[in-house]
Amino acid sequence: MKSNLIILMLILNGLHAVSQNGTINGTISDAETGEFLIGANIYVTTIREGTTTNNYGFYSLTIRDRDSIGIQFSFLGYQTQIKKVLLTKNLRLNIELQPMSQSMDEVVVTAEARDKNVSQTQMGVLDIPPAKIKELPVILGEPDVLKVLQLLPGVQAGNEGTTGYFVRGGNADQNLILLDEAIIHNPNHLVGLVSAFNSRAINNVSLVKGGFPAQYGGRLSSILDISMREGNNKKFSGEGGIGLVSSQLTFEGPIKKDESSFIISGRRTYFDYLIKPFLSKKIKTNYVFYDLNAKVNYKLGENDRIFLSGFYGKDDAFYSQDNIEYNLLIDNKAATLRWNHLFGSKLFSNTSLIYSGFNQDITALQDNAFSSVLSGIEDLCAKYDLEYYPNQKHKIKLGGQYFHHTFRSTGDSQVFANTGQTPQVQSDSIPVKRFNEIALFVNDEVLLTDKFSFNAGIRVPGFFNGPTNYFRVEPRLSFRYGINPTTSVKAAYTMMNQFLHLIPSAAAAIPTDIWIPSSQKTKPQNSQQYAIGLFKNFDDNTFESSLELYYKTMDDQILFREGNQFIRSLDVDNLLVYGKGWSYGAEFFLKKSMGPLTGWAAYTLSWTNQKFPDLNFGFKFPFRHDRRHDLSLVANYELSKKWSLSGTFVISSGSAYTVPVGRTAVINGGTIFEGNYYIYEERNNARLNPFHRLNLAATYKKPRTLFGKKYDSEWVFGIYNVYSRQNPYFIYFDINPATEKPRARQVSLLPIIPSVSYNFKF
Amino acid sequence: MKKLYVIVLLITAFCSCTKDISFDGNTLNGKEQLFIEGILYPEETAKIYVSLSVPFFNEKVLPQEIFARNAQVILSTDTWSEQLQKDSIFDKFRCRWVPFFGGANIIAYGKTYDLKVDYLGDSYTASTTIDQPKVNLSGVEYVENFYDVYGGHDGVIITYTDAVGSGNYYRFQMDRMMDNTRRHAHVLDVIQNNCTQPGEMFQTTDLGRVIFSDASNDGASVAQNIEVSFEYKQGDSTTVYLQSLDKRSAAFFRDLDEQLQSILNPFVEPTFLHSTIEGALGVFGSAVRSDPYGFMYPQDNP
Repeated sequence: MKSNLIILMLILNGLHAVSQNGTINGTISDAETGEFLIGANIYVTTIREGTTTNNYGFYSLTIRDRDSIGIQFSFLGYQTQIKKVLLTKNLRLNIELQPMSQSMDEVVVTAEARDKNVSQTQMGVLDIPPAKIKELPVILGEPDVLKVLQLLPGVQAGNEGTTGYFVRGGNADQNLILLDEAIIHNPNHLVGLVSAFNSRAINNVSLVKGGFPAQYGGRLSSILDISMREGNNKKFSGEGGIGLVSSQLTFEGPIKKDESSFIISGRRTYFDYLIKPFLSKKIKTNYVFYDLNAKVNYKLGENDRIFLSGFYGKDDAFYSQDNIEYNLLIDNKAATLRWNHLFGSKLFSNTSLIYSGFNQDITALQDNAFSSVLSGIEDLCAKYDLEYYPNQKHKIKLGGQYFHHTFRSTGDSQVFANTGQTPQVQSDSIPVKRFNEIALFVNDEVLLTDKFSFNAGIRVPGFFNGPTNYFRVEPRLSFRYGINPTTSVKAAYTMMNQFLHLIPSAAAAIPTDIWIPSSQKTKPQNSQQYAIGLFKNFDDNTFESSLELYYKTMDDQILFREGNQFIRSLDVDNLLVYGKGWSYGAEFFLKKSMGPLTGWAAYTLSWTNQKFPDLNFGFKFPFRHDRRHDLSLVANYELSKKWSLSGTFVISSGSAYTVPVGRTAVINGGTIFEGNYYIYEERNNARLNPFHRLNLAATYKKPRTLFGKKYDSEWVFGIYNVYSRQNPYFIYFDINPATEKPRARQVSLLPIIPSVSYNFKF
Repeated sequence: MKKLYVIVLLITAFCSCTKDISFDGNTLNGKEQLFIEGILYPEETAKIYVSLSVPFFNEKVLPQEIFARNAQVILSTDTWSEQLQKDSIFDKFRCRWVPFFGGANIIAYGKTYDLKVDYLGDSYTASTTIDQPKVNLSGVEYVENFYDVYGGHDGVIITYTDAVGSGNYYRFQMDRMMDNTRRHAHVLDVIQNNCTQPGEMFQTTDLGRVIFSDASNDGASVAQNIEVSFEYKQGDSTTVYLQSLDKRSAAFFRDLDEQLQSILNPFVEPTFLHSTIEGALGVFGSAVRSDPYGFMYPQDNP
């Protein structure tokens, strides 16, 4: 540790020695709304070097030559701007980029920095533009960031229709989902059919699945970093959408022009009304979900800005038929207070105070049987990050994070006496577990030569839970070697640790999110990932392609031991067994980002296995969500200025599940045991049928006028599951009452579903 | 619970579709395996049940249909060896013949027994030593209502003092005479028990599903709630025992219990059966019975 600090100081001293040149810094924002653009490109054409804006729209670039230089500013969906400046001293350059509009079709615009995917050091990063989220056809016409995510290479979908996803063989709990830095533990509405993220309130979505920079940690498999929009600081505007499942309304505008703004966006479903005609009169049901995003920001001065954002989402469902009653209550909430401060022209800081909370209460009654699962998490977090841009060769990030977690989880299952009084689990009777987590990190992105760059970092997370403490050291390394301007080879090594565990169930497909912290017995999850990739662009950046190979180990994994219910005791550790997993595979990505036809093809070939001494007779077995082949095709075609067509097609191998291979009769002298039992030879020995589905959508855009005011309107017509493929959701076994033979029953969800939605913006 | 499972799906979609599916032969038609059940009791002769497993989707599995009649079963100690003979007993509760291989020698406490089953050229062996302590019951009481992980039940509370020394495993046994008007409290299958007349009494044995150990109460006085398997009426007379099982047999019966739960409840993890017999499925072990304890039901079952 001491030697690491000495090395860091030497590096910083060395950096200072070459930092006497001119520096350009500033922000890049949307010219129409004033919102900062994340990941916008700054490219100095005269020296062929550049950088990108950080998560707050800020950039800093130190140039050795104090002479006239040309700088190109660009971002997807915006007109590129070129500036020529005389760099005689440090310069603040705040740039506003003009969005592309329908009238600008003739202008040739470069959508992204030339060969950005080839030239950046980091690998395993996928950015999803919000515009793309809205374009693609999804279930029930509801734009959904998590559904789009499932179409990317290395990201595999869970059950049909759900928003759960699995990255490079990792379980769903190994994905960290951040909304304005706040952890969202359950990103779902409608039991997973729709994500909790309102696409109209999103500014940027970035998925990191490998080569993790040191500022990210806490999960093994992926980081999904979602930034909320800040609101238009130039004029008041609004937009809305009326869809099949829900409607939404967004308002935004300046509080003080060019200095502060707000955005508020709400969404509410009417799924409960839609489902009623399809249900018998004996059934009483109600399903309500809604969410609210809000954000304000204020410019305190040239060097300071504060942001306050909040999110609240809730699902409240009730179902009753005959002697069955089912209640579901899920809420997610998050709030982030951030302060951006600029020390001079090269040092940027961000201080954040974050709260996030998640509660789940699922209760089921059948006859006089009662079952309930309650789970609650509250996180308080303080973060301080520094970004230092000493020269064009280095970009240093360092900082610290502190989390205070509070967990409440319990379950109950019983048969109760028929006294007319239904059992209840009192939330104040649930034992509370509190623990703390810290992390310190430093990361340097180094451009050694035009061809060779690397990203080196170290993260030191710690976990404190009474007498149980864990410290870990996580090295992070990424390399890039540019073969030529359009081709590069990259490699990465990362180690990750995770102190939280989601108890997985091999049997149940319904949401029962029971999170537990590490303990003396349940060690922190640990992974090491090795990846190598070839990145190549063709046809003047029209086509981007990549091939990434990875190998990932996952230690200290948990599963329920055989025969256990998902919850039965507060002492959950005793119900678990421990083992390891490993995953390897190849991911191929081909993307066309220019021209009237855009889209991508993503193919993943992968293997994921697990080995637990106490399961499957100690032999290895496939991970439940192991899918050998996974192909996604995505296309969007601009038919005319008014009409565009889009489609997605996915096909993947079936996921694994456990099937008995035989039956045997147990006699044992005429006892309760007497009967037929199942013979299992191997866990996850069978595969669900292959999954495939085609979705199509057509969008009609037209500017309209109402009461003399112009507004943009848009009709979106969609068909989900065009040929009504009965994709498997799960399989169960029972005895056919007619033949008394055992049979396997496949349950499928979501047949062909047409949808129409209307969106407007003023 | 399966209903609940499906209800969630109803909430989540306009329409869900369920259909029967088939599997290719390689996945499910596991090879025929020998299944052996043999628990030896001191002062009794040996009864070893030897049967063959069937592919999962075969029709109902009856003991007489799957009996491995060509097997050779040899039981031996260090002083004697005998080949067990084919025999059968008529189960009047389920109205069916149950074949087994029976021995003539009396099983003795303190001995080690070796089992060898030859079938189609292969041999399967196992061994057990009967050295577990005999633990007597100190009381049996009726309980009308209690809750455990399986739900709410009526039954009995047995009390005993665990033998000193850890690693003891117990299960409950209740013998009683009854007629076909008493039904099984857990109708796992439709039981055709019409082969006897009402009032014609026959003996049944009820073995408890729960295996309880002395892991946290070594040498202590124990009161254990027991779920009973058959219906009863006030005045029904029974004989109750506590069986002391060897460790490996206890683990096997625990597997059976957990698998039974996983078959009935989709929220329970699948449970594999861990055999105690090399190369074959099943259990070979021993149990030591307590002295009998008389118990009479004070009321009809609720």
